[in-house]
Amino acid sequence: MRRSQTALALVLLIALMAGLGACAAPPPPAAGPAQEEAPQTRAEKYTLWFNTLFHSGDAQAMERIVQLYNETHQDTQITLTQGQWSEYYAQLTNAVIAGNPPQIGIVHTNKLSEMYPALTPLEASPAGNLLEAAGIQGENYIEALWQAGERDGHRYLVPLDTHMWGMWYNKDIFEAAGLDPENPPQTMEEFVAAADAIRDAGFIAFHPAEDALPRKLRRAWYILFWQQGGELFDEGYTQATFNNEKGLKALEFLVSMVQERGWNDPGTDGFKQFTAGQLGMLFAGNWMYWTAKESGVNWGFAYVPQFYDRRVTWANSHNLVIPKQPEGVSDEVLVKAAEAIKWINENSDLWGIYGGHIPAYKPALESQELRNSDTWQLSLSKFADMANNGWIHYPIDHPKGSQLESAIQVQIQRAYNGEISPEEALRLAEEEANQILQSQ
Amino acid sequence: MRLHPRRLFSRLLRSRQVEGVLFVLPYGAIWALFLLWPVIYGFYISLFKWQPLLGSEFIGLKNYANLLQDARFWNALRNTFWFAALAMPLIIGIGLLFALFIWGSGRRRGGGFIEASFFWPYLLNVSIVSIIWKWLFDPDFGLILAYLRGIGLDPPVFLNDPLWVVPAIAFATGWWLAGYRMVVFRAAMEDIPDTVFELAELDGANPVVRLFRILIPLLKPAILFSLVLTAISSFRVLGQVLMMTDGGPGRASEVLALYLYRAGWQYLEMGRAAALGFVLFLIILVVTLVGFWVIGLESELGGR
Amino acid sequence: MARHTPSLSRMARRPRIRWREVQASLEMAALFSLAIVWLVPVLWMIDTAFKPTPEIFTLPPRWIPSRFTLEHVLEVLQDWPFLGWLTNSLIVAGGSTGLSLAISTPAAYSFARLRWRGRNLLFLVFISSMLIPWQVNAVPLYFLMDRLGLLNSYAAVVLPISAMPIGVFLLRQFFVNFPGELEDAARLDGCSSLGVLVRIILPNSIPAFVALGLYMFIFAWNEFFWSLIALQRPELLTLPIGLKALQGAHDIEYGLLLAGAFLASLPVLLVFLLFRQRVIRGMTLTGGIKG
Repeated sequence: MRRSQTALALVLLIALMAGLGACAAPPPPAAGPAQEEAPQTRAEKYTLWFNTLFHSGDAQAMERIVQLYNETHQDTQITLTQGQWSEYYAQLTNAVIAGNPPQIGIVHTNKLSEMYPALTPLEASPAGNLLEAAGIQGENYIEALWQAGERDGHRYLVPLDTHMWGMWYNKDIFEAAGLDPENPPQTMEEFVAAADAIRDAGFIAFHPAEDALPRKLRRAWYILFWQQGGELFDEGYTQATFNNEKGLKALEFLVSMVQERGWNDPGTDGFKQFTAGQLGMLFAGNWMYWTAKESGVNWGFAYVPQFYDRRVTWANSHNLVIPKQPEGVSDEVLVKAAEAIKWINENSDLWGIYGGHIPAYKPALESQELRNSDTWQLSLSKFADMANNGWIHYPIDHPKGSQLESAIQVQIQRAYNGEISPEEALRLAEEEANQILQSQ
Repeated sequence: MRLHPRRLFSRLLRSRQVEGVLFVLPYGAIWALFLLWPVIYGFYISLFKWQPLLGSEFIGLKNYANLLQDARFWNALRNTFWFAALAMPLIIGIGLLFALFIWGSGRRRGGGFIEASFFWPYLLNVSIVSIIWKWLFDPDFGLILAYLRGIGLDPPVFLNDPLWVVPAIAFATGWWLAGYRMVVFRAAMEDIPDTVFELAELDGANPVVRLFRILIPLLKPAILFSLVLTAISSFRVLGQVLMMTDGGPGRASEVLALYLYRAGWQYLEMGRAAALGFVLFLIILVVTLVGFWVIGLESELGGR
Repeated sequence: MARHTPSLSRMARRPRIRWREVQASLEMAALFSLAIVWLVPVLWMIDTAFKPTPEIFTLPPRWIPSRFTLEHVLEVLQDWPFLGWLTNSLIVAGGSTGLSLAISTPAAYSFARLRWRGRNLLFLVFISSMLIPWQVNAVPLYFLMDRLGLLNSYAAVVLPISAMPIGVFLLRQFFVNFPGELEDAARLDGCSSLGVLVRIILPNSIPAFVALGLYMFIFAWNEFFWSLIALQRPELLTLPIGLKALQGAHDIEYGLLLAGAFLASLPVLLVFLLFRQRVIRGMTLTGGIKG
């Protein structure tokens, strides 16, 4: 730990020079507590650092799981840190560079291309095949989710869950608009009719994207685009393939909701409108569950309607990973981390009940406790159906994914706000996306 | 006479030269390591495709060349200047106006309250200011839009309108920072001898003349200096933008510091981010030098 | 504050005394209303923080809630490490202030009162570096801190803030104007330079230290950009960054958000109410670096 010594010396020097013992610098955070465990001292406890990007409800659910782990394990304890989601991936990468990574982390499926250089290949780690050592078996996981975790023949991800958007609706408003609150619209025709009826009844009809954030509007457009069989890029990500009839049809419909049909106004927050009991229908993720439940609104939940050729919604998954560990980390630590990953999945019914996500681990998904929970009855079962029926589509998976998404969402939002035409939006987005792809 | 080494050492220590340097050393060391070195190191990084995990690649000035072709960079540059052009006069203008107000009322009953309420927003941190103003500008339930609609106007949804978003953020910034300038200007006003005004009054100069012919010229150094400092802080604006709009709608409020932050910490393009940092530094350097050239560098740094 | 200040009404020349009084009270009334308007954002924040959620989302906006509620404030305190953020902010701001004063004082003293070759040049170099906004150094500083193993420690924020030259500049201005007689007398008594600094200069420079301390404290208290990057462990977040996390997690729960904002502004409000004159005058001393 030469670096920390330098640092410590520096801090001491400064404190001395200043003649002031308090420069408020604690010793730098332990570089992955496990590193200090020498292999010889096996009798000692292992401490694994688990860093996630979860916040609010998700974070509390994960805390429960880790707490249970710590209560049931004598020799290994998990230290959990969470909540820093906006810079999470940069932080994870930089922690690996700095040789100070957590032993367990979370990575979204579509971030694999960006993140794999910072991850431990689980079947070929410095400690050998961790999947075998810990007994992690692919057939226990929802197939699509498991398969998405490989890159160049190496397995990096162990899926934890899948999460996606569905349709939340207000039953009281449905009634007031003369609609059947138990039969929410599921086709384009039904949907347009229902939205118009809600609008005419004096309510806000529909919000397609949770709130006004560009990335959310992009997801709404994805759904409409993917439902026509569109794909954003060609196979090898050499160029954008969305500036076409399908892309335009999707964007024109999205824009018309606020610019022509009067279902809502641009810039509004659907969560807020829904919670305030003013919004009829809302596209939002499974994390809406607790907000909906606490709002006091008489709500229902439905599949995303089938607007075009096939029913598809935006989805993603959280995966458990072992970030690349610096040299000197013992094999036992890696094995313990893999075992902890397996244990977390085995208890991921809690992740479903309290986090509202669909567990990727099949036995957890089928557990009685989950099936009997309110979460399952009221929304999760329908989310699970969508996953099982394959009505899900993951976002861009590319090393420059974040930049590509920025290129797209900015123009989608401008069109949605009525600032530019849908044609121009797609043209500009295509131009910038291609520029990003070529600038490698 | 030969000096004993120990006496030589102690005399050396007491010599003004060594002593002077020793006193500066603690600050100098920290300054060199945490202020000077990063500038040099930052320029070095900006010459690379900086990827510590996969191996960095020296690419010369390509990061800079790429910026010149990057529409997003030019957009951020335009937004930064637009923000500065709005925020500076707002902060300085409101500050000056309030200083005039409290200059007259400071000694009267209630003057303290007035001064305090003008000054107090300055003490809030940028996150609090952003949360408050985002809420005030809220499209559905915000106070500002509700009241404007209440008096029969059809206001734009300020934070979601490409024309209005930067002025709205600049206005919130003016609210936040004007109080500090007010205090500075008031202090400068109190340094003006009363006789100046008494003479002017005897000459029968009217209030407008007195304001523009006497007060403003006397405050000129303070105003110009404030302009330079406000310019520097306006050019590196980040917090308000990040928290109020995240650069939106579209990229209508994406400023340079935000683009830098995203390039480095969301896209992991550290080379590009370092180049952006250097460009921002050059802009601020030029603005400041021009500013000080106008004021006269010597009068400010002269000291003795 | 003995100096007589001309008032606005004096600038408008009005011979009759009564008319002056009327005008003065009208002026005060107008200023009072303006001051209230200026406070509206803060009042609305407090109002929202103590309103039940359904009443936050009503049109037209309602100032008087049907009942006051502590639920938002309690939720922030229970679900978020608010006190931890507060402690971190205090540590960072206090540490920056302390370290900055500790290292700037001898340097400023040396520049102001010791004669050695190159001091003016070096001082000019330091002062010119004021033009380097250290936020712009974010990328290299990140890797530098990483090298030093200081990332995710308070020192990562304290050290660069203390490296800002403003302290040296302000204190030098103050020390330069310090009367020389006392120092000469101390020297005759055999005091070393350090002795002079500690016994003569320090005790007589308290106002300058208070002013600089206030400036540094507020600067560090409000610092955003670099803390956002350098402190990425939830347990290390300072108030501004914690509030950003709060906003990220609850961008729809305005009651909670504004309760957080209210709580975060509370310490500053208290200090300000207690030491209003001192704070404002301290600000004046550092104001625009030169008044």
